[in-house]
Amino acid sequence: MNYDCIIIGGGLAGLTCGIRCLEAGLNTVIISDGMNALHFSSGSLDVAGYDGKRRVVTSPFEYIQKLSKENPGHPYAKIGVKTVKESIDYIRDQLAAEKLPLFSNGESNHFHITALGTKKPTYLSQTSVYNERIKEAFERKAPIAVLNFEGYRDYFRNICAENLKNQSLMKDVQITTGLIKLPYYSRTEKNLHEFRSIDLARIFDNERYLPRIAEEIKKSAGNAEIVSLPSFMGITNSTTVHRRLEEMTGKLIYETPSLPPSILGMRIDTALKHRFAALKGIFSLGDKVTEASVDGGSVEYLRTQNNAETPFRARFYVLASGSFFSGGLRSEFNRLEEPIFGLKFHGDQKRSSWYSQKFFDDASHPFLGFGVETGKYLQPLGRDGKTIKNLYCAGSILARYNPIKEASGSGVAIAAGYFAAQRIIKECGKVR
Amino acid sequence: MIQLENISFDHCIKCTVCTIYCPVAKVTHLFPGPKWSGPDAERLRIKNPELVDASLKYCTNCKRCEISCPSDVKIADIIQDAKWKYVKRGFFRPRDFFMSRTDLVGTLATTFSWIANFFLNILPVKFAMEFFLRIPMGRSFPAYQQGTFARRFKKRHKGQSAFPRQVTYFHGCYVNYYNHRLGDDLVRVLNAMDTGVRIVREKCCGVPLIANGYLEKAGKNARFNIKQLTSALMDEETSVVATSSSCSFALKHEYRNLLGLDNSAMFDRTDYITKYLYRMFESGNVPRMKPVHIRAAYHSPCHLERLGGVIYTIDVLKRIPGLDLVILHSECCGIAGTYGFKKEYYDISQQVGSQLFKRIDEVSPEFVVTDCETCAMQIEMNTPYKVLHPVNLLAMALEE
Repeated sequence: MNYDCIIIGGGLAGLTCGIRCLEAGLNTVIISDGMNALHFSSGSLDVAGYDGKRRVVTSPFEYIQKLSKENPGHPYAKIGVKTVKESIDYIRDQLAAEKLPLFSNGESNHFHITALGTKKPTYLSQTSVYNERIKEAFERKAPIAVLNFEGYRDYFRNICAENLKNQSLMKDVQITTGLIKLPYYSRTEKNLHEFRSIDLARIFDNERYLPRIAEEIKKSAGNAEIVSLPSFMGITNSTTVHRRLEEMTGKLIYETPSLPPSILGMRIDTALKHRFAALKGIFSLGDKVTEASVDGGSVEYLRTQNNAETPFRARFYVLASGSFFSGGLRSEFNRLEEPIFGLKFHGDQKRSSWYSQKFFDDASHPFLGFGVETGKYLQPLGRDGKTIKNLYCAGSILARYNPIKEASGSGVAIAAGYFAAQRIIKECGKVR
Repeated sequence: MIQLENISFDHCIKCTVCTIYCPVAKVTHLFPGPKWSGPDAERLRIKNPELVDASLKYCTNCKRCEISCPSDVKIADIIQDAKWKYVKRGFFRPRDFFMSRTDLVGTLATTFSWIANFFLNILPVKFAMEFFLRIPMGRSFPAYQQGTFARRFKKRHKGQSAFPRQVTYFHGCYVNYYNHRLGDDLVRVLNAMDTGVRIVREKCCGVPLIANGYLEKAGKNARFNIKQLTSALMDEETSVVATSSSCSFALKHEYRNLLGLDNSAMFDRTDYITKYLYRMFESGNVPRMKPVHIRAAYHSPCHLERLGGVIYTIDVLKRIPGLDLVILHSECCGIAGTYGFKKEYYDISQQVGSQLFKRIDEVSPEFVVTDCETCAMQIEMNTPYKVLHPVNLLAMALEE
């Protein structure tokens, strides 16, 4: 199979890269082995949440400028703050076109509330999670009701409420909790406790039950002005469902991310894949790259599990196969590697130096900063130590940044995917 | 003793992604979803086979759980295996027996096709089938053709050996008993590419047998087919092609993974037709085509997704001049072979497909194109559109 661009990995980085390439008219395919990590994400897009000393970053782009001088190996430093900003705006426009508008607090970070009732800095949130009206109501110290659905076991409203009360912002705020009973329950064969987030999201997606849900919300919320719900408001039409529920209840409603599968993350995944398909991109799901041939500093072809006989060829390749969790990086007992190309690896090979003894260590675990070593254009080095000219890396496979400690995972994925696409488009000479 | 090759369930991290993408779990809570039925319950079943849960039967074996799994767990295989290993079933199940004996029923029905077609479509017979055999009245059956494709082949397609290249065609039951035109179209397309077609004796690939729990009989058929196709591949540089995506999937993967047979001698040279055509087209062997001026919607069948063959079909279709192709969002049509022909699953089957039918209507094409015969039956029954196979479209585009 011959393409302009083959992207290995269909996560946030791969999809961003793919959509940009397709827009520029490049014949693009994504090869993806299983579903991506968006299904386990918060669904808010972080750019940079914390600095090196775990202090909250207020202005992520200003911080990136500073970071670039201090840490020139960081992916953001190579991409450059201008392109980072451009890429985030780009993906925001793409999602808005798919009816998934995102809120940003100007060019500053804002906090979204987690399922545990703590707050986490982020740059873009879905408007059902945070928006101007919620922000204003929080500041005004309006009463909040933290609600859960009866029988749902993956969310604990009391823990969430107690932790919320401890937030300085929530001082003197009246916080109550309550349960919602769904009319739908009597019509299902399933035990209520077996409901996962996805089952509930489907009930919302089918807008038929909204009036009854609204009635239940009003009953349980009492005089609260703000209602907190676990994130179930549908997958494909969440913006409409959120608006309609607010209209029906007369209350402000915000969602908190709940345990996987993450409905908020799936909304982003669904929207981006829809956009990719609409641009006539080919998404090969459930296939795995098994062999890569590199010769004279460039990739010649790839072979996959399902298509061992016909090699995949392209002018450019993007490796966005994720970190250890997604299989982009692999760990053996005393060895770390990038399994497809055997690229030059950044990280100590000795097992004992991969992690910290303390799980919640403020200094974080060293392995999170491991990954593929790349040059200034995010091109990796092959087995022979030479730069592979037609291969770019994007997303969590990259080394020298810590997505958890910095709260920068989605930002690096988007920026690197976009950056790779821009380089490829330029080199293909097909910019429209 | 746990066998090492069967521990893929241990790689499951309980992320529930498979359950999100399970078309059955989406529409009914009677099926707890692939995660629970597969890797979760497998642990219990290994300890005590009595702990098996009858809800396993709702799995259609569409394999969408496997393609969405980030941890490479062979979820559908685990479920299929458990379904027939642990669930108790009746000694004689007339409906499942006849539904899966496609060769027996097909040979009889094509001998007296007009009688079969007449009776299958009259109300008292439909009523009796629903009452006694639990085959839903709402389901329409494809019409049998007179005689089999295999018997007609020698008469209709003479001189095939004169072509410089040869392929062996695994026509499968659908072409043999229901749709001779697809087989004829394939011969026309391949002949236009200077390639001759031959057929060997074959038995049903085994997909309906596997789906109905007749694994021994499926194994017998599989061994027969492997022997026939392997010896067909012996003498020269040839390939085996099939026009059914599910037959191809069985020949390549079910034989190996589910039935535990050695098909390595034919594995590399057996392909679903569009992959073969893609390779020929790439090497410059393209038939002369005229513009067709057709708007068509393409539906990708589950088993072709699993086989990784959708990219080839799309590529082949894109080469047909004047074809305005809309690629539908990939989702299950719901029929899943014989599943949708059973009363207890009929409603689920219809609900699974409902989204797809709606989307097809939105596109409002002249034709729907799909690779799978039962998908075609389901779409023709539920939408007003005629469904074609990619090979039919290629044949329409041929310059005579």
